Amino acid sequence: MNSKIQTYKALLLCSVFIFSPYLYAAEYLSGPSDYVYSPIVEEGEREIDTKFGTQTPRNGEDARQSGASIGFGYGVTSWWFTEIYGKAQWEGNNSSFDAIEWENKFQLTETGKYPVDIGFLLELERPQNRNEGYEAKYGFLFQSEWRKWQANLNVLMQGHYTGTENQGTYFGYQGQVKYRLQPEFELGAQLYSWLGKVNSWNTDQQQQSSAGPAIFGKTKLGNKQALVYNAAYLWGTTTASPKNTIRMQVEYEF
Amino acid sequence: MKKKLLNTTIALGLGVTCTLAILQPSYAATPEVQIQIHQGRFIPSEFEIPANTKVKLVIINQDDTPEEFESYDLNREVLIKANSQASFYIGPLSPGRFHFEGEFSPMTAQGVVIVK
Repeated sequence: MNSKIQTYKALLLCSVFIFSPYLYAAEYLSGPSDYVYSPIVEEGEREIDTKFGTQTPRNGEDARQSGASIGFGYGVTSWWFTEIYGKAQWEGNNSSFDAIEWENKFQLTETGKYPVDIGFLLELERPQNRNEGYEAKYGFLFQSEWRKWQANLNVLMQGHYTGTENQGTYFGYQGQVKYRLQPEFELGAQLYSWLGKVNSWNTDQQQQSSAGPAIFGKTKLGNKQALVYNAAYLWGTTTASPKNTIRMQVEYEF
Repeated sequence: MKKKLLNTTIALGLGVTCTLAILQPSYAATPEVQIQIHQGRFIPSEFEIPANTKVKLVIINQDDTPEEFESYDLNREVLIKANSQASFYIGPLSPGRFHFEGEFSPMTAQGVVIVK
């Protein structure tokens, strides 16, 4: 039976990066500072979470787009983690406050009980541009591990509601694979994609998808304190994608 | 059209894979190991489990302070509140020694899972 379980785990691990090249994404909704969500919640964990990313547009005439956020997160229970963010963006030399975001993560299965840990994400955002109304992102989060490998695959929906711009609900996914080499340094890859509107997926060249290598790690700073990081260099895989994206996240856990 | 069909098929395939994985029926007989936390130490601090087997760990914290079970080897970090208990699953693991510690009292709360 264990070999069967391992077979399913291997299938899931492989699925993220074997199948993903076929799943070209559509409307580019991943911000430069987005990250791959994990369904695992740690009760009592407090963190200051900073993220930064920058994208080089494929068209050289367009300005570079960058984004950053800072947030405070707390593991309220063993199954609910919540975090409040402030987000800023830069386009060329112009910077502006972008949005306030409230992220909620719910762990739906006991850690390790099943071959795949499952969670649910609900993220609500109030954009500074009030024409965009409110933004909601929600979906299921999956994580599996096999020996020293860990894989994540998240299936997400995102939409703007009650506004006049960028309305509609979009479907996308994100994933990562990493090899847990040592606590301070782990190697892997990440992928971010959006397939388009839920009821009308885009054609290949309208789609956007970015993938590339990533590094991860955690350094203890003392009793109950740690610095957790991950960073990735992503190439756009379609002509509608940014040429490349550099993104990173640093969390101070205490 | 073909691409949309392919995308749909693959998305469904992923869903089916996940569902099949979750519905694995082998967990009724999952072995369980109980560990006490007493005066900042794990009791027992070493225990054996069989290789290639999923095991449920139940950590019972008898102290008046919280403790966090932390193990990079096992890829687990779980808070156990004061005078409370928490459970989670580890494995299936290959034979070897897998260290764990209590993050809030690492000088005393050390342990090893021996997989044979």
